[in-house]
Amino acid sequence: MTGIIDSYIPVAIFLAVGLIMPPVTMFLVKQLSPRSRAANKYTTYESGSIPTGTARIQFNVEYYLYAIAFVLFDIEVLFLYPWATVYKGHGITTIAVVEMLVFVFILLFGYLYLWKKEALTWVK
Amino acid sequence: MDELMYLAPEIVVVATGLAILLAGIFLSPQSKNLLGYLATLGVLAALFLTVKSFELLTMQGFMVGYSIFSDTLNIDALSQFFKLIFLVVALIVAIAAIKYNENSDHTEEFYALMLFATFGMMIVASANDLIVLFCAFELASLATYGLAAFEKQNPRSLEAGMKYFVFGSVSAALMLFGMTFVYGATGTTSIPQIAANSGLLTSSPIGLVAVVLLIAGFGFKMALVPFHMWAPDTYQGAPSVVSSLLAAGSKKMGFVAAFRIFIVALAALQPDWQFAFTILAVVTMTFGNLVAVSQTSVKRMLAYSSLAQAGYIAMAFAVMSPLALTGGIMYALAHAFMKAGAFIAAGVVVWMVTSEKRGNLKIPDHLDNFKGLGKRMPLTAFSMMIFVFALAGIPPTAGFMAKFVLFSSTIAAGMTWLAIIAILNSALSLFYYARLVRYMYVLPPEGGKVSEPFPYAIALLVAVAGVLAMGIWPEPFVELATNAAMVLF
Repeated sequence: MTGIIDSYIPVAIFLAVGLIMPPVTMFLVKQLSPRSRAANKYTTYESGSIPTGTARIQFNVEYYLYAIAFVLFDIEVLFLYPWATVYKGHGITTIAVVEMLVFVFILLFGYLYLWKKEALTWVK
Repeated sequence: MDELMYLAPEIVVVATGLAILLAGIFLSPQSKNLLGYLATLGVLAALFLTVKSFELLTMQGFMVGYSIFSDTLNIDALSQFFKLIFLVVALIVAIAAIKYNENSDHTEEFYALMLFATFGMMIVASANDLIVLFCAFELASLATYGLAAFEKQNPRSLEAGMKYFVFGSVSAALMLFGMTFVYGATGTTSIPQIAANSGLLTSSPIGLVAVVLLIAGFGFKMALVPFHMWAPDTYQGAPSVVSSLLAAGSKKMGFVAAFRIFIVALAALQPDWQFAFTILAVVTMTFGNLVAVSQTSVKRMLAYSSLAQAGYIAMAFAVMSPLALTGGIMYALAHAFMKAGAFIAAGVVVWMVTSEKRGNLKIPDHLDNFKGLGKRMPLTAFSMMIFVFALAGIPPTAGFMAKFVLFSSTIAAGMTWLAIIAILNSALSLFYYARLVRYMYVLPPEGGKVSEPFPYAIALLVAVAGVLAMGIWPEPFVELATNAAMVLF
């Protein structure tokens, strides 16, 4: 039991340093740095162009749908690798093929669904 | 292939879900009502198969259990009983949702998500391995997050979905964290193996940390105080049919998972979690009932009463005798009927108010909208009365029988003080239930007679039948629950 606790000592040191460092740094900066209260100080980009309009605009979600569809099939391929490594030599060839076909077909349902719901067409 | 036979109900549920998703994209919006009937048929078939599976499990008059898929799933009296609960709730919700989804463009998504959620709950009931349990738990949760936010034009529904999602994710993280501690201490994720190696858990504080994290993780799903913050907002904001699924189904998923993990896997730590659950049960039922008294939104009131009911069921953990577990498991089924029905009845009123555009439109489930419901919608009002009286525990309803078994087991186990608190709580709860009945039957109606849509009426009748059947003829249910409880000992 003490062995486990001992192995956490480095973590505890990290935690202590992590807790102490930010306040110390902030305190030092506050003591040492000069303060400026000019109007320019409060603009978004102090030495850049002046922003126009509001930041609360709506973005197109098309990319998001593409990303989700991509992840779906990415995972499918990923799952095929472990399947391929145990495929031979365990006497489960038939059941493995059936299982994988079920899996692929269920994902194919998803693809068909995406397609029919026009998630893959780029709406302007 | 034998193994697949035991999973027939689950396979039917998933196949129906996929078929609905596929059929939905080819059907025109007008013919999408068909999908509701298809879902109902699928759930009925699964229900039939589950009932049949009890025969498979009975051998020379005794219930036996089977482990399938390399011991990752258990098919036994407990799992089948909870599958029965989930399927009954799914059936009531599926029927009611035929009307809810009328002329909706997203019928197929609703039913597919609902069936996938049901499937997840069913697998949780069977899970014999922490990883399987977690995956199924998440499947059910993810599907219900989507359902809670199903009315995407309705800010309240979105709020409900968002809160449920955030809290659900945090609770899943806590639960998984707890599981990693269990795995770290015992070196296995299989529930029977953990039970066999439980000495490793008791010999170090890690076991205690795991218990705390797991109680917090499951407590969110079971909506035990102080992990309940999401429940009132979610149950109120979500569409009524979805609240019904959440309160009646998803909550039981937390309980069955907790039954398996605490009572079977972490049996060695019983004194620790028993103590924690005793406190949680008392706090939950008292808080739920006290806050429910001052609610004016009926769905919110039902949400708080649902907390109180979870407190009663959690008493099973506090008492931990076979009879108490029988009572807790029976209460889970009784609560499924009463709460699913009550939310559907509230949903009928919401439907009436929004389609008539009269009454309190801002909070369509406000108590004022229930005024004179006995004259306006006799069937809905009568069913609602049965449900709330059952929730309060008045004979001859399911609530009375379940409470009777649960409370008498508490007294038999020598925890009279707990039974007294629970009975006082039931008496307190009668106050706000009776107020609802007064609004429905004593106060004058504010509109003409409205006839309930057919699907809502059928869903209410199914729930009423269940509540009364359990109250009038409890023997088969007690027997099933006893068999289920025996699995845990």
